[in-house]
Amino acid sequence: MTTTATVMMILICGLVWGGFVSLLFRAAKSEGRKRARGRD
Amino acid sequence: MSRAEEFASRWGLIVATLGMAVGTGNIWRFPRIAASNGGGSFLVAWVVFLFLWSVPLMIVEFSFGKKSRKGAIGAFVHMAGRKYAWMGGFVALCASAIMFYYSVVTGWCFRFLAAALTGGLSGEGESQALWSSFAGTPKSLVTHFLALGIGVAVVWFGVRGIERVAKVLIPTLALMVLILAVRAVTLPGAEKGLAFLFTPDWQALASPTIWLEALTQNAWDTGAGWGLILTYAIYMRAREDVSLNAFLIGFGNNSMSLLAGIMVLCTVFAINPSAQADIVGAGNEGLTFIWMPQLFAAMPGGGIFMVLFFAALSFAALTSLIAMLELATRVLIDMGLERRPALLWVAAAGLVCGMPSALSMSFFKNQDWVWGVGLMLSGLFFAIAAGRFGLDRLRTEVVNGEGCDLPIGRWWVTMIAIVVPVEAVTLIVWWLWAARGWDPDGWLHPLHAGNVGTVLFQIAIALVVLLLLNRFLGSRSGSSAEEVSA
Repeated sequence: MTTTATVMMILICGLVWGGFVSLLFRAAKSEGRKRARGRD
Repeated sequence: MSRAEEFASRWGLIVATLGMAVGTGNIWRFPRIAASNGGGSFLVAWVVFLFLWSVPLMIVEFSFGKKSRKGAIGAFVHMAGRKYAWMGGFVALCASAIMFYYSVVTGWCFRFLAAALTGGLSGEGESQALWSSFAGTPKSLVTHFLALGIGVAVVWFGVRGIERVAKVLIPTLALMVLILAVRAVTLPGAEKGLAFLFTPDWQALASPTIWLEALTQNAWDTGAGWGLILTYAIYMRAREDVSLNAFLIGFGNNSMSLLAGIMVLCTVFAINPSAQADIVGAGNEGLTFIWMPQLFAAMPGGGIFMVLFFAALSFAALTSLIAMLELATRVLIDMGLERRPALLWVAAAGLVCGMPSALSMSFFKNQDWVWGVGLMLSGLFFAIAAGRFGLDRLRTEVVNGEGCDLPIGRWWVTMIAIVVPVEAVTLIVWWLWAARGWDPDGWLHPLHAGNVGTVLFQIAIALVVLLLLNRFLGSRSGSSAEEVSA
């Protein structure tokens, strides 16, 4: 695999998978906050 | 809305909506289209359109469902007014017409899963023989009925039934695709597949075809603009967010496509690199049902991976079929029917209207082509209806309103007011223009299977009928936002 293809793979996979995982964490965090507020 | 008619948790909403978005298109179309359109260059355009088409439209759909708490027709009436019921009707009709033949596709997946489980695909030429003796024959009626029956059994129990099934199927599907991708990447020679998928051809980015193919892939496989996200958003809790969920579904769907692309192309390049052009050019069904079993059969331990592949495909198809059944059912519920009678009417329509696609591949391909173009029109209708409600009002009152986790700026207004309509019109014109070459002598003939005429004819009939029924649809599907506030 060439360097360009490797860099491209890291960029695309990083953006798509990294984006998904970070959004999932953000949603979980916000859900936790909303639940805590609901219990108050 | 009672609590029994809400998703019990945010996780439930996310997995159900991901199940809707992830379908066979992620597994059988994305790898093929990426490979035949410049690999890395296509991926750049595909990521760009995630932000320029899919996510903005998903935000519209989530906000329509959350605000109106009505299905496709009722939501259009609520957001845009009674005069726009026909547009909601078109969205519902388009998704239902796809459901009719998608049940047949789900049935094919079940049949091949059964064959993989019983070892019926491991011999040379067995996949081709099974496909030839099954698709387009009365045998596929049985699996069409089975797929529809399973889908109906899930929707029968309402949103809680959909949520329970999605919570099992979607994590399992993700795990199976991950295992298949890891296995494919670790095969000797797999790096050629990765290189093929990720090597960019920067000059290719100057070609409009790559951009239009990338936009089409976003329009067809993320579920944005189909009315399905709107349907699930009806059951969101009031404190639920819109924009973060939309981004999450868009990224989640594309994550699965990327895994599928890596899995398919690494398997192809590791097992049979000399046939890659034939495999990629074999079409959705050829790649999935004829070539993939042959490749798995030639792989060490391939029988297990073949079962995983067809199980993943079956799960992806079934969860999308469930969403389509719920969409049509919800429209009838809004018109005054109880859930179960409404579902039985939808099931009966699916059973009958899916039969021609089960019995004839030519009819199946015609429907796939016509309603594929219809989906682009659906996306345009969503943008128009959102504009009628007021884009800034929708952004401030609903998207950035109660429960918002990710405030959205004015960029989204520009996307829906200008970018999405331009994209939808460009796509429709481009596909129709391209179709002139498929049937040069009879390109306008309304009864030919794959040409311009059949699209114009069927969509025109649908629009005329819906416009004639507009008053009825508008009066039976709820009230507009103005009437409610008055």
